[in-house]
Amino acid sequence: MIARLVLNGRPREVDVRPNQTLLELLRDTLGIFDVKEGCDEGVCGVCTVLLDGRPASSCLVLAAGLRGRAVLTLRGLERDGGLHPLQEAFIRHGAVQCGFCTPGMLLTTLAFLEREPHPDREAIRAALEGNLCRCTGYTKIVDAVEAYVRAHD
Amino acid sequence: MHPFEYAAPETLDDALSLLREHGDEAKVLSGGQSLIPILHYRLARPRVVIDINALPLGDIAVRDGRIGIGALVRYHRLEESAELARHCPVLAEAARLIGNVRVRTLGTLGGSLAHADPAAELPAVMTALDARLGVASASGRRTVAARDFFTGPLTTVLAADEIVTGVEVPAMSAHGWAVEELSRRAGDFAIVAVVALIGLDRRGHVDDARVAFGGVGDRPVHAGAAEDALRGREPTAEVLARAAQAARDTLAPPTDAFVSGAYRRHVAGVLCRRALTRAVERARR
Amino acid sequence: MTDAVATREGLRVVGQPIVRHDARDKVAAATAYAADWAMPGMLHGVVLRSPYPSARIVRLDTAKAEAMPGVAVVLTAKDVPRNTLSTDVPGQTTAVGPLRATLHVLAEERVRHQGEPVALLAAETLEQAHAALEAIEVEYDEMRGVFSPDEALASGAPAVHGSGNLLAQWRIARGDVAAAFRDAAVVVEGEYATQMVDAAYLEPESGVAWIDSDGVITIRLSTQVIEHFRDVAEVLQVPQNRVRVIGTYLGGGFGGKEDVTVEAYLGLLALKTGRPVKMVWTRHESLLSRAKRHPYRLRYRTGANARGEIIAQQIELLADAGAYAYLSALVLLYSTVTAAGPYRSPAVEVNARVAYTNNPPTSAMRGFGAMQTVFAYESQMDRVARALGIDPVTIRRLNALRRGDMLPVGQVIETHVAIPELAERAWAALGPPATPRSAQLRVGRGLACNLQPYGRIVWLHDWASAWLGFEMDGSLVVRCGCPDVGGGQASSLCQIAAEVLGVSLARISVHVSDSALTPLAGTTTASRQLYMSGNAVLKTAHELRAQLLGVAATILGVDADTLDMNDDHVVTADGRTLPMSRLLSECARASVPRSHLGVYHAPAGEPVDLARGSGKVFPDYTFGAHAAEVEVDIETGVVRVLRFAAAHDVGRAINPQSVEGQIQGGAVQGLGYGLMEEVVLEHGINLTTSFATYLIPTAADVPDVRAVVVESGEGLGPFNARGIGEPPIGPPAAAIANAIEHATGVRITRLPITAERVARGLGLLD
Repeated sequence: MIARLVLNGRPREVDVRPNQTLLELLRDTLGIFDVKEGCDEGVCGVCTVLLDGRPASSCLVLAAGLRGRAVLTLRGLERDGGLHPLQEAFIRHGAVQCGFCTPGMLLTTLAFLEREPHPDREAIRAALEGNLCRCTGYTKIVDAVEAYVRAHD
Repeated sequence: MHPFEYAAPETLDDALSLLREHGDEAKVLSGGQSLIPILHYRLARPRVVIDINALPLGDIAVRDGRIGIGALVRYHRLEESAELARHCPVLAEAARLIGNVRVRTLGTLGGSLAHADPAAELPAVMTALDARLGVASASGRRTVAARDFFTGPLTTVLAADEIVTGVEVPAMSAHGWAVEELSRRAGDFAIVAVVALIGLDRRGHVDDARVAFGGVGDRPVHAGAAEDALRGREPTAEVLARAAQAARDTLAPPTDAFVSGAYRRHVAGVLCRRALTRAVERARR
Repeated sequence: MTDAVATREGLRVVGQPIVRHDARDKVAAATAYAADWAMPGMLHGVVLRSPYPSARIVRLDTAKAEAMPGVAVVLTAKDVPRNTLSTDVPGQTTAVGPLRATLHVLAEERVRHQGEPVALLAAETLEQAHAALEAIEVEYDEMRGVFSPDEALASGAPAVHGSGNLLAQWRIARGDVAAAFRDAAVVVEGEYATQMVDAAYLEPESGVAWIDSDGVITIRLSTQVIEHFRDVAEVLQVPQNRVRVIGTYLGGGFGGKEDVTVEAYLGLLALKTGRPVKMVWTRHESLLSRAKRHPYRLRYRTGANARGEIIAQQIELLADAGAYAYLSALVLLYSTVTAAGPYRSPAVEVNARVAYTNNPPTSAMRGFGAMQTVFAYESQMDRVARALGIDPVTIRRLNALRRGDMLPVGQVIETHVAIPELAERAWAALGPPATPRSAQLRVGRGLACNLQPYGRIVWLHDWASAWLGFEMDGSLVVRCGCPDVGGGQASSLCQIAAEVLGVSLARISVHVSDSALTPLAGTTTASRQLYMSGNAVLKTAHELRAQLLGVAATILGVDADTLDMNDDHVVTADGRTLPMSRLLSECARASVPRSHLGVYHAPAGEPVDLARGSGKVFPDYTFGAHAAEVEVDIETGVVRVLRFAAAHDVGRAINPQSVEGQIQGGAVQGLGYGLMEEVVLEHGINLTTSFATYLIPTAADVPDVRAVVVESGEGLGPFNARGIGEPPIGPPAAAIANAIEHATGVRITRLPITAERVARGLGLLD
């Protein structure tokens, strides 16, 4: 089957198996490791992509069903080979330990801030409730997002 | 996942004839938030997956005091729709409680109803609203009342070749409403969920009450006893408490490895009282 | 080991919240984790696991599976050159006595827990591998199993292994407990139960193995212990120098990747097929069968005098080892040593036992036995305080160990014990008390202190090595075997090297975690890595510094000990400078090496007889105090944590931001343990094999953790640091239980503290 998608701004057509998920398409076929495999049931968030601008679990999307939709992974954020200011904020505030949850946290945060640009800490936590982190305890992640929000007010 | 054939029909008729052809060797894919994990775990091995996401079942339309919501309307649209906020805000509040943000991006109303998890929010909401579900097969269409639709855990009246096409609910903008839920963590399935809608007449007495529970049995429970205890009465704190108690007393929730039936029952009573209280407050505004 | 510049003011790099070198790659998803690796011709390996907790394997037939499309090889026990893995002490080099804890790589005639590996195969695609797995024919004959330590230790219970089910026992007896109880003004008895939990790292067990051009079996995987190359060599019956383990940056470890996980399977499959093989466990597989944290029953009888001083402790511990010993004996030892908490205890009896069952095996997990006891000893402390009308901070100040005091095991505390300061500061960090937001809510506060050993048991004669070398242009290379679990281990080594050698951080590159190419530094476990590899780098850096300054002194015509190294230069007392690149050319000319390999040996000791003994068990301890404010809904039992503060004396914070991160992350894991995590078993069948049923805290479930970092300047690590990896996970559960009692009068003695347990305690279900 042919999967049709716009991946990080580029239209792509890729040969896929009917039972191949978007996560498998990205990692196994295209060698894009921005998305990770953590639970295969949409709970942990490490496979998060933005699908037409909204967070989705790529482990639960069949590649064949994409029908030309836009898929954004972390490398889609890069500007002129540099990091996005939210990525810089994560680094500066120690919001990264093992890093496995980080791509999902970043994408989910950006999609959330598009809809709610001035959240308080409680709203940030509620927005990230679907992205599990086992290392940081979340405090520094919220610090980083809050700092980014303030800097971009 | 096991290998399967994949079909993506673009019309309802094509989808229905595929379903008729493959029967219980096929699975219908809408949001995928329940089906794909089942396939990952190899708990189901369909020969064919019929992806219905291209079907024109994504409309929300208000007409003659009734709201039609297509089966493919995603949870996030239920949350964000201005029309639903105006005419059926209880649906928006319930949708906000479903899963996590990613589930709400792709999960669909029809999928939730067809999957029929006893602890899910939308089956309980439809039961409270006394919604009508549109069901289609290659043989034709029928309408099923939500209160008759769910027959057991993950079981509905749907035949193997039928799909839900949408729901019709009354527009109840004058009603007060509330959803109360207790879960282990914020985005989890409910241990107990209560949906309540209250309509008050000019004297401030209850002239319409619709109450349903999720998570307390093998299917959503329509709390007729609570409704009867409220109808015609002034909704004082004691009346609400007694109605909640009446509802609770009809329940015999199961005990599982995580939560006891006794706890579910107790919580159902507490949440019912809280939901009724908030619904009445809203009705009075 | 102390440094010439011991005060914080004199430190330039250590003590700075520098950005870790791995953070940049991680935010860009440029870090290649173990599963982010593909090689030409790579096969996919999968494991067949037993569905039964206790059974005989009557028939095992792989013929059909072998014939399936894409299958390269199917292996069972008979195909494993040496089918025994020793699991006694991961990464141990020095012999510590006969190795007793073993298990099979693939089951032989019996399976002893659900999920035990029975067969192994590799196929061209993962889909083909799973299809072939289902074609393996296994016939099991279920046997009666035992599913709790009590059941296992009852007379007539079926033996999980050859002999009885009592795996290990430790006893401490100090002072006259009976007399002390007679003198006690108050005696509090409590029985506590802690649950089995999972490490639940987000990155499942994963790795890729291949045979390189020299015939070396190379395994690139997510592991906390690269020394397992020896175990793999044993299994494969090849020389140890023919196996190489490359440890990747882990997506979390927490002790769950301390034992051998995928490496033996990968080694076998690569050897048998001659091709690269990848294995990634599913979440289901990992939750089902990976070793877990020991559940405990803890019975405490605590006696105090009228002033509130603890004068007697009688303690009984019973733990569940599951089906295989793994590290159970050592975990039990940690519990035994810490059973009375960070308090003076003149009369103490501890009787600790751990038993085999047919439950999933239990092994290392962050806290390692010193975590479970906190729930008991801090609940007891609070109950004593309440009985005497003493507040939580005062009672701890009164009873806290002081330098020179002796732990019940006979070890004298040699470093500062900051418990009183930590308790006060954690409590104060909660701020003004919250008022309940509505009529059915109650607010309460609780405190809990702990001690957690850092560094390994001294009988293990721990050591770590490191290599530092300058390139000709003055840039520095650090090589150290230390796996990086995400706590900034590798980055801290750079900071230490930068401090001593005056090299700017941007000019240091670090290579870690490769058993063939980096000097071995031991396991990233036991809160030992900063202590051990940090000290190894520190020592090596000093030795290298001395080497180089000898040459510099000649060039500059001054005494070597008047020279400093700073900002990529050698600097004299009167301000003259010599660029490193020039010094290094001179070293080359003088045949003085520009690099050095150093070894740090931790102070060693000999095994003690706990029942009578005096002696040191651990090098030192890290002390902590956590304070929680909770809100309890008295109609439903739902508990919300409103505020949380965690204070630890870390000796010196090499990287303050990393230290805070460890404290916050550990505290939240502790909150998960306290409030929601549980492996639910029914007759050995695991009911929580999904992240939908095994619940870990989300961002919405926990408040900000205020990390209070205290630096006493005393610790055995580099620059007087103490280990901080494990300590923060210990206190939260007890702090929550104490806060709930304060709010409602209900004392919860079982973990996790679910809303239903609180509701029952409140009498709501009567």
